[in-house]
Amino acid sequence: MSTERIRNFCIIAHIDHGKSTLADRLLEKTHTITSREFRHQMLDDMDLERERGITIKASAVALKLVRNGQEYNLNLIDTPGHVDFSYEVSRSLGACEGALLLVDASQGVEAQTVANAYLAMEHNLAIIPVISKIDLPQSRPYDVLTEMEKTLGISPEEAFMVSAKTGAGIDEIFDAIIKHIPPPKDSSDAPLKALIFDSVYDEYRGVIIYLRIFDGSVKVGDEIYMMKTNRSFKVEEVGVFKPKMVAKDGLSAGEVGYCIANIKSIRDIKVGDTVTHARERAAEALPGYRPPIPMVYCGIYPANNADFHPLREALERLSLNDSSFTFEPETSQALGFGFRCGFLGLLHMEIVQERLERESNINIVQTAPNVTYEILKINKEIVKVDNPEKVPPVNEIEEFREPIVRASFVLPTEYLGAIMQLAEARRGNYKGTEYLSEKRAILTYELPLSEIIFDFFDKMKSATRGYGTLDYDFIGYEHADLVKLDILVSGKRVDALSTIVHRKDADMKGRKLVKKLKNEISRHLFEVVLQAAIGSRIIARESIRPIAKNVTAKCYGGDITRKRKLLEKQKEGKKRMKSVGNVEIPQKAFLSVLSVDE
Amino acid sequence: MTSKKHILPTALYIHIPFCAKKCNYCDFNSMVSESRVVDRYLHALSKELNTLESQYTFTTIYIGGGTPSLLSAIQLEGLLRGVIRYNPTSQTQEYTVEANPGTLTADKVRLLKEYAVNRVSLGIQSFQDRQLQFLGRIHSGDDARNAFSLLRNAGFKNINIDLIFGCPEQTPDDWKKDLEIAIALNPEHISTYALTYEEETPLTRDLKNEVIRKLDEYTELEMYKTAIEYLTLKGYNHYEISNFAKSGYECSHNYVYWRNTSYVGVGAGAHSFIDGMRMSNEKDVFRYIHGMHENKKDVKSFRECLPQDHFVSETVIMALRLRQGITNTDFYERFGSTIQDQFGDTISILRKAGLVSYDDERLKLTEKGLFVADTVMAEFIYI
Ligand SMILES: Nc1nc2c(ncn2[C@@H]2O[C@H](COP(=O)(O)OP(=O)(O)OP(=O)(O)O)[C@@H](O)[C@H]2O)c(=O)[nH]1
Ligand code: SF4
Ligand SMILES: [Mg+2]
Repeated sequence: MSTERIRNFCIIAHIDHGKSTLADRLLEKTHTITSREFRHQMLDDMDLERERGITIKASAVALKLVRNGQEYNLNLIDTPGHVDFSYEVSRSLGACEGALLLVDASQGVEAQTVANAYLAMEHNLAIIPVISKIDLPQSRPYDVLTEMEKTLGISPEEAFMVSAKTGAGIDEIFDAIIKHIPPPKDSSDAPLKALIFDSVYDEYRGVIIYLRIFDGSVKVGDEIYMMKTNRSFKVEEVGVFKPKMVAKDGLSAGEVGYCIANIKSIRDIKVGDTVTHARERAAEALPGYRPPIPMVYCGIYPANNADFHPLREALERLSLNDSSFTFEPETSQALGFGFRCGFLGLLHMEIVQERLERESNINIVQTAPNVTYEILKINKEIVKVDNPEKVPPVNEIEEFREPIVRASFVLPTEYLGAIMQLAEARRGNYKGTEYLSEKRAILTYELPLSEIIFDFFDKMKSATRGYGTLDYDFIGYEHADLVKLDILVSGKRVDALSTIVHRKDADMKGRKLVKKLKNEISRHLFEVVLQAAIGSRIIARESIRPIAKNVTAKCYGGDITRKRKLLEKQKEGKKRMKSVGNVEIPQKAFLSVLSVDE
Repeated sequence: MTSKKHILPTALYIHIPFCAKKCNYCDFNSMVSESRVVDRYLHALSKELNTLESQYTFTTIYIGGGTPSLLSAIQLEGLLRGVIRYNPTSQTQEYTVEANPGTLTADKVRLLKEYAVNRVSLGIQSFQDRQLQFLGRIHSGDDARNAFSLLRNAGFKNINIDLIFGCPEQTPDDWKKDLEIAIALNPEHISTYALTYEEETPLTRDLKNEVIRKLDEYTELEMYKTAIEYLTLKGYNHYEISNFAKSGYECSHNYVYWRNTSYVGVGAGAHSFIDGMRMSNEKDVFRYIHGMHENKKDVKSFRECLPQDHFVSETVIMALRLRQGITNTDFYERFGSTIQDQFGDTISILRKAGLVSYDDERLKLTEKGLFVADTVMAEFIYI
């Protein structure tokens, strides 16, 4: 098939602006799914996505569209809007020639609208601006047009208006896709060059790779070769997403689909790698993807030490489907053998942890997250610290450096003061204000990553009554006056509870943290003493009084089963805890550090 | 490990699920009903009694509730007559009926005596009217004293008094006074229960709405210690977590539960343990009546064949309630292995912590272990 009638595009936007719902309408209007199969946000097929009502994974789907008697093949990729999943967006962009940029008519341009639009521009994609949700009574599409022009240089004439709820404007979108998005270049005769933009592990079929074919073609029986991992495989099946996998004889230049090739080892595959033919190889690989830089790290340990190997397998399997988190084995005195994992943000961390538990049935204990620090040692050596445990002794440190981000807030002007106050309190450095209109502005600050990544988002949301949005980019490391804060439980330092904090906050945080821990750790038969320390200096102390009386007087008549059940429950609760010395520490306690400001 | 064959149950429990008024703290299976319902219930109950295997003879019988003394004299007599066939020659060693001071009358006392009841358990809870009101009891402190004399004068030689401690705002002095009044009456047996906050009781609702505040744990512990010290001083043997008795008056019926041996329960919600099988009857009074009237053989709502490991751990847990604990010989006779074999690791940890003592003869709680008995017992659970 000639590429003339293929269009590859993704839908990008700020979170909740209606991408998946628009995708629903596109699927429906092209009869890709029957009304019986339909459910809302059809492409959000993961349980977690449906439970949380957000898109976590980008999903591809092939649509057939008939226009002026011609049949077109449209490949759509719905992307997530949350900042933590922006790597999904950039990978999707790499597989497309165009993007629908959605802006919610009632919300206007927001932080990830700008960020994602720039990403699409960097990829040289044709952008179709779309104002969504015009059916909403509080929609203000014309203000939004002005905002788009001001921030993104998009002229109001280019934009389309739709309601994915009523279906208004959808037909015009199809026309625009065909008209404005260029067909992929026709190079079916060249040697195969296909980008692995995603993958997933299937228990029966092994690794399934998701491909965008740039040059050449691939069919069942072909011997393919992975240019980075240097592995060859024989193709068993290729096909497209409708949105379920549907097999085809082959895929050729311009198309998006999947490939199954009896790939059993997860390590043989790398997202971003180029697939070519084993015999007739492409001269050079596609540029692929720059691996994302993790923003936060935390330790993930099996609650039961025997689950270390199953946990490793689960992490490997998950990493196939989410190439944006990293993991390295580590050990902790308190928690035993586990992994230090890197994530793009806190939501990402939460999602990975939940997927791990659901997809593998392993109980996990997670430590408090931290950002990566850089330490210049006296001997001029620079070490990266992704775990507070790795901070060298104080006398070897010349300089402590922390990651700094450029943060842009898009918000109604009436909240500028509130956000500035918040940013200053978090050691922010004001960079400027840009007005989108009289009522809305973009405020830019440089801030330590550690100050915004944990609880800042909620604070910003409440300071702006939900109207403020935030995007940030890592810009580099800067010197800061930091110290390591240790926690001692009954005199023993618990490595998994150490954190790195700014010296000026250390006393306050130490005090709050031990208070918090006091509430998280239940009473024991003996007194439990909690202390916070910097080096050898104790800065805070709390103690948990021992259980004095815990005895049920009543004998419940002959209902001994009830008594047993009560005791069973008591014992069951202990299973998710880690015992450090004699003290049982529940999973929640390790995360206490996260919310010491409350 | 094998267990010895189960012997026939020797204890009979009969449940009367009616009260004049629900007390504020109560989550027992009982309700307020009109006399007509009570009649129908007693009828159903007599049917269930009739289905019991005729070879049963019981060494202990216990009629509890609810409030058995709430029954009218006629109803009570009917019930006692139905039970007498399981105690034809009055050889039942211990035959207890629970009574509420607010509903016990001279003619009911006479009936109890006439039908060979030889032990009465009086739900007194406190002698102080303020406390009684707080608990939502229907009687006064004077009623309690009078009921006790009524029983004594009718010739009852084995009387138990139930007392509750640990109410909000109750002081250790208040509690001591209750104990002193109880001692002055000279009962053979005293049970002291710490007030507990059960789900869906008015008391717990008040607690949640912050109308009342729990007494702090340390004061409660002090009260418990006072009871132990004082009652022991006055010649009562502290033989179980909440129970005190003059020598020879320990409650034989409850021993059956504590030793985890077989018993039969009849009436709504009553539990039985027969041939290694735990069962309980339908709890709802109306469904119970209905079920019995449909000529079903029984109205069980729960049955569980107790797995051996649960049985072993329950046995130890229940036995730990007794101050004498469980002996190695007894354990070996029942399970064919030693306590050490079964629970060696657990015991060694608990021993180091000073919570249990274990020697050639027996395993039991230390005094320190007694106060945190539930925490200790949980360690003997298999999961
Ligand atoms: N009134 C109205 N509501 C809409 C429209 N489109 C989407 N919504 C609602 O907006 C919310 C978010 O829609 P989604 O389609 O999940 O948004 P999304 O952009 O895919 O969100 P993420 O993938 O999590 O970034 C849902 O409650 C939708 O029902 C529309 O055209 N009109
Ligand atoms: S008398 Fe006993 S059973 Fe009846 S309501 Fe009061 S506490 Fe409950
Ligand atoms: Mg979505």
